[in-house]
Amino acid sequence: MSEHGNWAEWVYIGVVCALLVWVGAEAWNVERLVEHVPADAEVIKVTGQQWFWSFEHEDGTKEIGELHVEKGKAYKFEVTSKDVIHSFNIHDYVVLIDAVPGRINIVWFVPDEVGEHEIQCREYCGLLHYNMRAKLYVEEST
Amino acid sequence: MRSKIGLLVVFTIIFIIPTLNYAFAAGDEPGEYLDRRVVIWNLFFRMMVVAFTIGAVVSGTMVWLVWRFRESNPNAKPTKYEETGEW
Repeated sequence: MSEHGNWAEWVYIGVVCALLVWVGAEAWNVERLVEHVPADAEVIKVTGQQWFWSFEHEDGTKEIGELHVEKGKAYKFEVTSKDVIHSFNIHDYVVLIDAVPGRINIVWFVPDEVGEHEIQCREYCGLLHYNMRAKLYVEEST
Repeated sequence: MRSKIGLLVVFTIIFIIPTLNYAFAAGDEPGEYLDRRVVIWNLFFRMMVVAFTIGAVVSGTMVWLVWRFRESNPNAKPTKYEETGEW
């Protein structure tokens, strides 16, 4: 055994370790960037319950089953639930976070185009889960 | 041993420093927001590039190994255990 070198194994170990470090660092960095809420984001309280979504803006305006936001503005969703676990999802903007009773989970996004988008529950929450939807209306900024 | 550690350090530095630079250079100016769709897709794309590259290298190495060391290869030499029949 002693007559052969093992440099190839060390190169292999080095490459694998470097790749693992890189993958971990990249994922950590992206998570950090995505979770960093901009300071000027407007807070919207989101509540899920069987089987609809309700929203409360910073100025106290409440909406049920629909949400109106402005293009180009940052929004911070504070998501919770009144009964069972739901999951708040705006598919077109890759927004997805669980709505858990007794917890406030945070996710933020910036709508960049005027239009209508589907909001839906992504955690099976009972009989009408399939229809636990809301509409996101992105409007021109005033 | 020292050169091996050196090699590991070099590999680590090559990948870590650019990532840290990128991380701490992230802008925080009001009105400038990152597009989470782009950031998440880019991560997925980079991870897929790494995964498929490694997959190709590993499976390529295995194919070569099987082909090179098959019994019917004219270049195949029996190991000393096989020659003597002692295991």
